[in-house]
Amino acid sequence: MADIEQVNILDEREKSIVTKHGERCSGDGMRCNTDSVSGAVSQRACVYCGARVVLNPITDAYHIIHGPIGCSSYTWDIRGSLTSGEDIYRNSFCTDLRERDIIFGGAEKLTKAIEELAEAQKPKLIFVYSTCIVGVIGDDVDSVCRHMSEKYKIPVIPVKSPGFSGNKSTGYRMACDAIMQLLLPHKSGKKIQGINILGDYNLAGEMWIIKNYLKKIGVPVIASFTGDANYDEMARSTSAALNVVQCAGSSTYLADRMEEEFGIPYIKVSFFGVEDTTNSLLRIAEALGNEEAREKALKFCGSETKKLEGFLAKYRKNLEGKKAAIYVGGGFKAISLIRQFDLMGIKTVLVGTQTGKKEDYELIENLVDEDTVILDDANPAELETFMKEKGADILTGGVKERPLAYKLGIAFCDHNHERKHALAGFEGVYNFTKEINESINNPVWEYVKGACV
Amino acid sequence: MKTKVTSLVNLNTNPCKMCMPMGAATALCGIRDCITILHGSQGCATYIRRHMATHYNEPVDIASSSLTEQGTVYGGEKNLKQGLKNVIALYHPKVIGIMTTCLAETIGEDIEGIKERFYEENPQYQDITILPVSSPGYGGTQYEGYMAVLNAVADKLEMNTQKNEKVNVILPPQSPADIRYLKNIFRIFEIDTILLPDIADNLDGGHTEEYSRLPKGGTDITELRKMAGARFTIEISDKSSAVSPAQTLFEKYQVPYKRMLSPAGLKATDDFYELLSQLSGKDIPEEIKTARSRYLDGMIDSHKYNSAGRAVIYGEPEFITAAVRLCAENGIMPVVVSTGSVCPDLKQYVEAPIADMGKRYFVDDYIISDDTDFKEIEEYAVKYKSNIMIGNSDGRRIEEQLHIPLVRRAFPIHDRIGGQRLRMLGYEGSLSFLDEMTNALLSVTENTFKENLYDAYYRGTPIDCGEKEKDEIPADMLKKTIEHPCYNCAGHKFARIHLPVAPACNVQCNYCVRKFDCPNESRPGVTSTILTPAEALERYKTVKEKLPNLTVAGIAGPGDSLAGNYPEVKKTLQLIREYDPDVTFCLSTNGLMLPFYAEELVKLGVSHVTVTMSAVDPSISGKIYKYIDYMGSRYEGEAAGAIMVSNQLSGLRILLAHGIICKVNIVTLKGINEEHIPQVVQACRDMGCYITNIMQLIPVKGSAFEELPMVSNKEIQSLRNSCNKIMRQMFHCKQCRADAVGTLDNDLSIDLGGFLDKDNIEEKKEEEKKKLKFAIASKSGVLVDMHFGHVEEFYIYQYENGTPRFIGKRNVEK
Repeated sequence: MADIEQVNILDEREKSIVTKHGERCSGDGMRCNTDSVSGAVSQRACVYCGARVVLNPITDAYHIIHGPIGCSSYTWDIRGSLTSGEDIYRNSFCTDLRERDIIFGGAEKLTKAIEELAEAQKPKLIFVYSTCIVGVIGDDVDSVCRHMSEKYKIPVIPVKSPGFSGNKSTGYRMACDAIMQLLLPHKSGKKIQGINILGDYNLAGEMWIIKNYLKKIGVPVIASFTGDANYDEMARSTSAALNVVQCAGSSTYLADRMEEEFGIPYIKVSFFGVEDTTNSLLRIAEALGNEEAREKALKFCGSETKKLEGFLAKYRKNLEGKKAAIYVGGGFKAISLIRQFDLMGIKTVLVGTQTGKKEDYELIENLVDEDTVILDDANPAELETFMKEKGADILTGGVKERPLAYKLGIAFCDHNHERKHALAGFEGVYNFTKEINESINNPVWEYVKGACV
Repeated sequence: MKTKVTSLVNLNTNPCKMCMPMGAATALCGIRDCITILHGSQGCATYIRRHMATHYNEPVDIASSSLTEQGTVYGGEKNLKQGLKNVIALYHPKVIGIMTTCLAETIGEDIEGIKERFYEENPQYQDITILPVSSPGYGGTQYEGYMAVLNAVADKLEMNTQKNEKVNVILPPQSPADIRYLKNIFRIFEIDTILLPDIADNLDGGHTEEYSRLPKGGTDITELRKMAGARFTIEISDKSSAVSPAQTLFEKYQVPYKRMLSPAGLKATDDFYELLSQLSGKDIPEEIKTARSRYLDGMIDSHKYNSAGRAVIYGEPEFITAAVRLCAENGIMPVVVSTGSVCPDLKQYVEAPIADMGKRYFVDDYIISDDTDFKEIEEYAVKYKSNIMIGNSDGRRIEEQLHIPLVRRAFPIHDRIGGQRLRMLGYEGSLSFLDEMTNALLSVTENTFKENLYDAYYRGTPIDCGEKEKDEIPADMLKKTIEHPCYNCAGHKFARIHLPVAPACNVQCNYCVRKFDCPNESRPGVTSTILTPAEALERYKTVKEKLPNLTVAGIAGPGDSLAGNYPEVKKTLQLIREYDPDVTFCLSTNGLMLPFYAEELVKLGVSHVTVTMSAVDPSISGKIYKYIDYMGSRYEGEAAGAIMVSNQLSGLRILLAHGIICKVNIVTLKGINEEHIPQVVQACRDMGCYITNIMQLIPVKGSAFEELPMVSNKEIQSLRNSCNKIMRQMFHCKQCRADAVGTLDNDLSIDLGGFLDKDNIEEKKEEEKKKLKFAIASKSGVLVDMHFGHVEEFYIYQYENGTPRFIGKRNVEK
């Protein structure tokens, strides 16, 4: 075995890792939005996961997973999307396909399941997620859904999410298609004052934070997609004057389709960080041509920013000069994080995403230093290699990355779907800054001798 | 508002199991320098890593062949081979476990063949052992996947059959801390072991200076190859497991074996040490005997607290069996024992200790079930009145809903830290597990016993006069509620007046005869007169002058307040409000029209509403009403029930959303709704009603229910007591008349009623001086021992010149 060299970077992965002074992100520079490399230990999940991320926060929907139990078990109530009303979405319904169903097909089982559910629970809305095996054994989920929908006069919407049929982004799109299927029958000619918020999942109440801001500046919100969403609200969304898109990766496609079908224009916004929050509120007011709201937003954001000034200055002293690594789901979040770290005086030395797009990486490139490592669909070996090489002090990422950071003696910030503290809005700036400081400056690192930091 | 989800036959609701690849991945973590690749789509590996990361707090790298559409259609061989090369490059492993998934199995991937071809094409990798394991997600649970890996090692690994003095130990998926304990015990007995698998370090590693991409613990593959030559195999497993690596080793290599249960609890641990003593030829060492005595001492110390335990135990059969035995030997009664996996023999393994416990404590209601989901477990937990749960953290939702403490053990634990260090094996492990259970029970007792005893012996009893409200009700509402005699015992110091302004009704209850008013609110015989709004105001004014403690004006029919006479009701309330801004308004209704008027009632300043809702199930509700008149049509049966229930609930919800204090009256109808009443109470509680009032049916002659047997006072009291655990109950209801005036203790309606008759006031006063007649409701004829609504005859007394005198009995035409 002596002739086999342990490597840090696989050849096939080299094109997905760039720095500014090396190959740039534009042109052929950054290979992204492609299938994961077999055996590379990608941090990505699957199409089904993507679809579930987007749809699951709809609080009064019955989410039925047509597939084996694992797909249901691993996604049951693990995300931090909160509800102000129904909590049906916190249950995980599954047809629990077994060997027999693989052989004889699962359509009948699904039909029976929906019938029983429809009769026992009188649902308003059902989503049926197709998993890998359903894609292979060829159950006609569409026709079962159509049939059930007619029988019970409720939307029973198939979500085409076999795991192998693409990556997580494909799942986002499938979810958006499902939402469109829900919305199309509610197409409405007239427009009403008010906006829809797309791509916020009300993690730790973030949708509420945003809605409260909008209320303060006098912009009515008609529907949210999909944090704390419900069927009736979504059905009204088609007459909104504007869509604002918070998580671009998951919801731009939905915004496009809503523009196409209902003529609702959209803008992308971000509520991460003081600057983004302020700009987003102003832009919403401007897009609506609502001068009064704009004035209110200016005043509100001004006073909130002022409140945070002393706080941020104090923390900056503690954090200046530290180095951050970022590995998150989508490009938009990465961009926000780089800018927030910047404000704290923290330099981003590594930044990567699971499902970033070319244009995201081009933007990222403009925000970081010459030698910052930018990577797409990274794996633990690469994260380990570059975090060590760049001497990162903190990693911001998801649950799977956390133990790696800790083993390397690096601080960590949970920027994932399971967190229980809000990171959006002005409240979020406060929480985020505190969290970064609490992890980076925790006394434990004093005891970690020879840590890689 | 939250919809209650019930368990379903055709749909798994909240799975109490995971899939084979999860367990397979766990087992492979116990082999040194082993990397795992999942042959399937990317998500499986990621989900499993996410679960393991939160439980073990260790980086667990699991590769995936990342099958795409292409691979699914044309076969994934190319992907898998490339994946093997890549994991070798990145991780430099000695062993690679290939696990299949649903997808790989369904498209018929031949992983054995792929392995062979991989070696042929890449002879430089001959030294790396590739271990293919069939683990389709639909094929079984994580325990089965775990055992599949162990069996594959025993069955397929090329073995070194030379005899050795080692003992194979097939280990269950216990926590790394428990595995470390077992390793130490083998050291103490000087037994040279080969552990299959050894996850002690790889899934609970330390912090070292140098990070190793593959953790360095686990059993080496060369050691595993020696299993064929070992002198004995101990297999700690679930006896119901169809797959037994020990048996495989025996059949292939004639290694003798013993299968045994996890050493959890006194007896199983004794058996375990006995076996080790035999195998090693050594006596059980002193330190172990001391540990045993300490556990026994601990068992004695906590046995009385444990006896209160009614446990829900769930998880894989292996875990359940161990936990049931440990509980049972400590006097904790397992009342719900459920596994998500298909295990028809579960009863056989766990019933004996449960039945034994049951016999000792006279408990015969328990359930043992397989193929169960968490929704069913939740329902069982309620049905079997459990007060503690034992299992992985997927039970946290039930803990949150039902406030039953959950003692976390097994996998996964992702809402607490340290799942990898939880102990349950050996005497020390059993004791720490037991202490945790006892403490969970104690913490409930310590936090609730004061309130429970207060509720049991004080609340609603004759000595209860100063009940304090604890709920988060705004101060003004709270004051009104406290001063409201129909909502609060203490309220009897305050007077109320019921104003009969609404004679019309829109439903025909089966227990009601129209001419006698509505027995819902007030089986009151007859109200003297129907008042116009102006008269009602006059009446209120007069009474207020007489009774300054009059705080409440209520509308209770005599029909339904929201039926045909709503305009009068509205006018009455407006008039009285003008006269007395501080008055508390309350109103009773059958709820049919409530959704239409609820918001208006709020605006009118009604702060308390009583809805008579004796069922929340349309089919039961349908039996209560002969018919209902709604929106111009007459409905009967279940259709009527459905409308009633839905309007009652939505009306209540609107009121509650506005902070109105709602009381729900529930009329107990033998054979119709008595079993259903706790559900009604639960629904009220879920919505946020203030109190429910479980009432007796007062049978009325000529009504459809006239033959319905009456529910006894005792039965009512016991229903109220049991429902009191769900929410606040009214224990003091007097079933007032619709024109009741005064305090509950002192109904002055006749007195004041006469007094109120404006034209005759003086005259009546004269009469009063002369004589008074009293009708006494009595069954025994000795005591006032019957509700006046129930009596068949009244005892009439005449009061004259300061002396009462019995003048005869009078029959009542019911």
